[in-house]
Amino acid sequence: MILHINHVQPGRSESTSGVVATLLSLLEAGDIDPNTLGHLNVHIDWLQYKSNFREPVSTRRVLKDDELLPLSEIAVDLRQIQPDALRRSLSEALNGAGPDSLETPKRVYLEDFTPTRSSIIWTFNAIFWKYLPIWEDASGKGYEKALPSGQSDGHNIQAITDSVQEFWEQLHSIEAKKLLPPEIYILEIGVGTGERARRFLDGFKALDQEKGTGYYPKLRFLAGDYSKATLHRVMESLVDHRDMATFVEVDAVDPFKALSHLRYKVMLITLSNVYDNLPTDELVLRDGKLFFVEVRAYVAATEVARICEKYQIPVSDFEKSVHKLLEQGPEKFDTLQQGVGFWMELWDAVRLEERLVSAHNLQEAHLPNAVKPSHIEGLIEAAPANMRFQLSSGATESFANTIPLLHPKGCLQVQDIFVERLNDYLHGFRGPGKMDGSIVNWVNGAFLAEVGKQAGYDVHFKPFKYRKGSKTTILYTTQRE
Amino acid sequence: MSLPLLPTGVVGSYSMPGWLERLKTEYILRRISRLELDEIHDTAVKAAIKDQEVAGVDIITDGELRRDNLIDYFAERLPGVQIDRASKKFYYDFYESSVRGRMPVAALGIVPDFKFLAANTDRAAKFCVTGPHSLVKRIRNEFYKSEEEFALDIARVMNLELKELVRAGLKYLQIDEPYYSGFPEDLPWGVKTINTLVEGVDARITLHICYGNRYGKPTWAGNYQYLFPAILDAKVHQLSLEFARRGGEDLDLFKEFSGRFEIGVGVIDVKDHEVETPDLVAERIRKAAASVPAEKLFVLPDCGCLHLPQSVAFAKLQSMVRGAQIVRKELKG
Repeated sequence: MILHINHVQPGRSESTSGVVATLLSLLEAGDIDPNTLGHLNVHIDWLQYKSNFREPVSTRRVLKDDELLPLSEIAVDLRQIQPDALRRSLSEALNGAGPDSLETPKRVYLEDFTPTRSSIIWTFNAIFWKYLPIWEDASGKGYEKALPSGQSDGHNIQAITDSVQEFWEQLHSIEAKKLLPPEIYILEIGVGTGERARRFLDGFKALDQEKGTGYYPKLRFLAGDYSKATLHRVMESLVDHRDMATFVEVDAVDPFKALSHLRYKVMLITLSNVYDNLPTDELVLRDGKLFFVEVRAYVAATEVARICEKYQIPVSDFEKSVHKLLEQGPEKFDTLQQGVGFWMELWDAVRLEERLVSAHNLQEAHLPNAVKPSHIEGLIEAAPANMRFQLSSGATESFANTIPLLHPKGCLQVQDIFVERLNDYLHGFRGPGKMDGSIVNWVNGAFLAEVGKQAGYDVHFKPFKYRKGSKTTILYTTQRE
Repeated sequence: MSLPLLPTGVVGSYSMPGWLERLKTEYILRRISRLELDEIHDTAVKAAIKDQEVAGVDIITDGELRRDNLIDYFAERLPGVQIDRASKKFYYDFYESSVRGRMPVAALGIVPDFKFLAANTDRAAKFCVTGPHSLVKRIRNEFYKSEEEFALDIARVMNLELKELVRAGLKYLQIDEPYYSGFPEDLPWGVKTINTLVEGVDARITLHICYGNRYGKPTWAGNYQYLFPAILDAKVHQLSLEFARRGGEDLDLFKEFSGRFEIGVGVIDVKDHEVETPDLVAERIRKAAASVPAEKLFVLPDCGCLHLPQSVAFAKLQSMVRGAQIVRKELKG
């Protein structure tokens, strides 16, 4: 057995040693099959997100060429595990970990095993944004209140003021070389309420007038979002800047598709808290060998019974009701109250069973378009031999499909939660977690930097200095000379 | 060797295969020998020549496949330039290079590469060199009082090499100066160095000026207005310019001076993987012919095809050739 102590919270050493002592005691009592033990990896974690997709103790099987291998993993979340349930949970997990043990606690599965990026949890994520006002009404608080600081870092006034100043200086230096284009394009992807855009444009207009530089009338501001309803709301926010603003339906994963006519023309592109909410896959390195993580979402049968009883839905209609919710929304239930209640409690109960699928090489990974395996081979070769990390599939695809819009002297600024070095995956849990009805994942910044470098861009990170304790980072991308 | 009306050509580089990128990097990392790399280069160059011939291109280059990038092929050969060999890990990166004293006069040793090209094609062969202005932007100057002085000395040294190329049979020479577009204020002395570079060089000389093609994307934006009037003093026969990606709006700038230069008109966008149709190419040539007499037009891509996949580069060259054929037919009635 190999013990991996991945992420431990200060002051929790006692519970860590409790896990080890319980394992040894189970071994002494003969409760662990020695055949299982030889191939077992035990991972001890501290899950940062209180609401997440894991059981206190979960088992991961390993699959190679459609066959289960003796190798398996047990993952213990020190945050969730209760001391009095530890022995029982570990024993159950260990007895279900061997290659011949197929029994799992009774679960109602919502899908077959699939790469994480295509799991049904992303459909839950999508309906959260689609029916956000309904969720907010039911929970009695706006989405931003669910954030650690109670508000989005994207709206921080000082951060926007500094961003305005930086952009003005960027234009001024380009003008000094007589290379300023007649139209200066700015694009914000995932424009949200339009609050950030309004503050940015107000600030820029004022600064431009103060300096007398005449840049503001040349601005062409593109507010991009996938939701028409959002764009309508933003139109109202930007009423003072309507002469220069355009509202465009943009898929965050492929902005180039809608905006290809602006290739190499956009001087500033900004995104805030978009990447952490895009589908991703995860890769695992074990002794230097590569595995893909596959998941299948489920709800414990006991939870299914409880939720169905509470919302007066026959248990036999449970799966039908889940699909109704995901395809037609909470309004299609008998009452909105029933629909939203079912949705919220269902989401809270959704867990992910994971398995590791052995891969021969990166060619087999689903890499974002425009990323070749050779782009990241070096990065992975240099990574520690035992590590689990996100591929950040959606974020990388978005990044690769955004940079061709950049003007040669332009800048892409992304405000999000980034893992800047692969080694940082060894310290701290990086998702996925649940944030209200949505999913949150840290973004593999090291991977983005490598993809950027291979495409001829410099990528660097700066900490978000405007809120104490903030985990937000700003990624800057400019063309490499 | 006579050329047809609207001769077609490439702007130096041809598609760099992924396997060659890997092998070049292997060489940088000392995993394969120079001898092995030279053999690999010879094979790759022959393939690039063959592709251009099959596509029907009139003026052939060696695809610049021996080069890592625009600068290092020359920085490594220029006498007096010091290279930090440990400074690059990937072949396409630039070496850290510097000059710390007056450059001595010595051969660069690029003539054998031209001879290899000439020996492997029966068509007109063009050889390309990076111009002094671009070189001084990348080689750190720790000796000369100004970039201009440094560039003039590079021109003086390279001039002898160009004459050697002519002695070896070179008829078509191209000088690449992509950095002009990023430093328009340098143009007066930039042109002066070009004139020093080509003094007494008996070849058809093309000056290629684009907006950059590093990593397959532009490094600068703008229009060619900045070239005037300084460029009119350049002692070159042809200007090769980027029009396909940018649209041909500033072609009009050349109307007034249409007798002064031949124009190598970019009709293939090398920064876009979508292959132009021959009709689109023909339309671009017609547009150019409205500003510059057809007999003074050469049909080219915007810049080198380095960053295009081979299949795309080849298809684009085929379209370019067919587009030129369409317009030729129209002009001949």
